[in-house]
Amino acid sequence: MECKTFDENLALYLYDELEAEERSAFEAHVKSCQNCRTLLEQSRGVQTLLHQRVTVEPTPELLVECREALYRALDHEQFGWRGLIRSWLPVVIGFPASRAVATATLVALGFGLGWVLRPHANRLSIPVKADMAQAVPAGDLSNVHINDITQVAPDSQTGAIRITLNAERKMTLEGSVDDPRIRDLLVNAIKGYDNAGIRRDTLDALRAGSRQPSVREALIYAMQHDPNTGMRLEALKTVQGMEWGADLSQALIDSADHEQNPGVRLTAIDALVNHAVQAKDRTLVPELQRLAGNDSNRYVRITCAKAVHDLVGDGY
Amino acid sequence: MDGICLELAGKVPAEGSRLDEADEHDLIRRAQHGDRAAFEVLVRLYDREVLRLAIKVVGSPDEAQDLYQEAFLKVYRSIAHFRFDSRFSTWLYRVVMNVCLDHLRRQKNRNEVQAPESEEGQPEFFQTLADEKPGLDPERSVQGKEIRQRIGTALSQLTPRERMVFELKHYQGMRLRAIGELCGTTEETAKNCLFRATQKLRLALVDLA
Repeated sequence: MECKTFDENLALYLYDELEAEERSAFEAHVKSCQNCRTLLEQSRGVQTLLHQRVTVEPTPELLVECREALYRALDHEQFGWRGLIRSWLPVVIGFPASRAVATATLVALGFGLGWVLRPHANRLSIPVKADMAQAVPAGDLSNVHINDITQVAPDSQTGAIRITLNAERKMTLEGSVDDPRIRDLLVNAIKGYDNAGIRRDTLDALRAGSRQPSVREALIYAMQHDPNTGMRLEALKTVQGMEWGADLSQALIDSADHEQNPGVRLTAIDALVNHAVQAKDRTLVPELQRLAGNDSNRYVRITCAKAVHDLVGDGY
Repeated sequence: MDGICLELAGKVPAEGSRLDEADEHDLIRRAQHGDRAAFEVLVRLYDREVLRLAIKVVGSPDEAQDLYQEAFLKVYRSIAHFRFDSRFSTWLYRVVMNVCLDHLRRQKNRNEVQAPESEEGQPEFFQTLADEKPGLDPERSVQGKEIRQRIGTALSQLTPRERMVFELKHYQGMRLRAIGELCGTTEETAKNCLFRATQKLRLALVDLA
């Protein structure tokens, strides 16, 4: 065996992937070559070192949390539009006599939707990178059918956003949240895209545009309705940096009443209380009084009572 | 294909008693016809191992939770296409692998723009590394911390596919053939990934070994 072959087989030897014959040849070479022996010892040392990384076991609580979140997502899946399509499509296709009718209906529906959705498709006419320009006319994404968004990469320093997606081929869009077409794509993604990682990246991308009404509405929507707890919390942190308004106020009150996760709920209540006290916003007093009187959580009752006291004095 | 099945089946945690193949097939068929309860039983059979693997790959339990959900939603949507020509566990783990690979690719791209930092100012990955007993020997503790940081940095330099192959080989002890099948590639590609990964790690960490 030569040193080059030794090098090629080193990892396979360390991880017991060599056949018996190759293994013998490898070991024979090690005995006769000082350099390779040193390399093997170093590699063994690194292998041992890498075991210092500890295995993190999922706690039972995390597993339960994961299952509950999954079941909620499955509810959404089962009773949302995907579930609807899944439930009626096999029935229609199951009857041979109706297949032609079903096919014709679907074709007609496709044409109809294509016609109806044309204005939306036109919104995707965004300046594109060179690799994408080969797939579609430069600067025009009309009628491109997007199958999948694979990446949303905002650059926090420049405000540029790069979106990678699969349509007829892989495409990369570049722009900023100020571009209404990029914005529309991101707003739709944060509200309805399946992949939580993409929604999280989309949140980062939209943060810079929170003054835009559609972005503001989407961020508030994510705070209230995203199926992922971490995402709702991140959206909540983001909306706290936005200008106060009746929509935000109502959304936080709704979260205080309906949010399932205690951590997110308390953060929403804290945001409400902090705003009320700092801005001396007395319009929130009735809601804070209600929480101070009825909430099941002692911390919430005390915090809200104190805020009401700060706002209206001893009259409370 | 059986190689994968044996390795994974052995690691699947049983909640209650493990099902035999016929029972599992029955559950799958029911799930394929929209029986949500049957699908949930399948989830509970495999989800602990899925979550464990996701945590190992991404380091953070929060991100692992996202991967867990994404993987099982994909399985739910496509279970009707499962044709019983491989084990269900193999098919399921292939979906999980793809989800993990996509995540690593996104994470790598994101890190190129801005390295995410945790509250302590360390990349999140390092949170998964063991804390030594700091009270016992401060010098050793600092040394241990530095070593773990170096390991984390070295691992983060691998490409997503190299990282997945290395993770499954070094920490899960799977055979390369099985890894290739799970990652939707060949054994040869898995070998090459392992070769490159070990070489990069050796170069990055040899002074500590």
